[in-house]
Amino acid sequence: MARPFFRRRKSCPFAAKDAPKIDYKDVRLLQGFVSERGKIIPSRITAVSGKKQRELSQAIKRARHLGLLPYIVK
Amino acid sequence: MPLYEHVFLARQDLAQAQVDALAEGATKIVESLEGKVTKVENWGLRNLAYKIAKNRKAHYVMLNIDGPAGTVAELERQTAINEDVIRYMTIRVDELEGEPSVMMRKSDRDRERRGGRDGGRGDREGGRGDREGGRGRDREEATGE
Repeated sequence: MARPFFRRRKSCPFAAKDAPKIDYKDVRLLQGFVSERGKIIPSRITAVSGKKQRELSQAIKRARHLGLLPYIVK
Repeated sequence: MPLYEHVFLARQDLAQAQVDALAEGATKIVESLEGKVTKVENWGLRNLAYKIAKNRKAHYVMLNIDGPAGTVAELERQTAINEDVIRYMTIRVDELEGEPSVMMRKSDRDRERRGGRDGGRGDREGGRGDREGGRGRDREEATGE
């Protein structure tokens, strides 16, 4: 049966075996998961799993506290 | 004993020697309270994503601590008092990284670049210069091999 609007769900970028570890110090990695405005991108767009998204948001918030990431970009 | 990562940010106008002294002081506090500092990492002078206490840059230092919770409480208490430290954070981790963290791997490159321009005033201009320097270096490496 043809399903015209069906798109296979992308898998979580942190699920692979050699996936990078989520760490507040890895600014370059975290930067990929914040918008241009500095907001955390929802996991429905980045396909990060729920568990990893919680870890990720914690890491981003830690990095923000230390001035490694902005809270907001005007 | 629990493991902690303690990061603190020192004011930008401190000399490197003063920053080292701060790290030394923190190490002493930990050791006087039966803790161990397994690693001290100096991330150098980095640009801040936003101004903190009127600083645009700050010296970052990270300590890996293995010690009782009381040690961290005392360390944080004394760090909060110190006016040269503009921000600090201690988090508990399941395991401490033995090898240099991501920050060191990256900042090694940054430091090499920074050597090229000294006293570059405009942040944005400096940034562009950085990138060009980086590219130039890559090319040199390529031809060298």
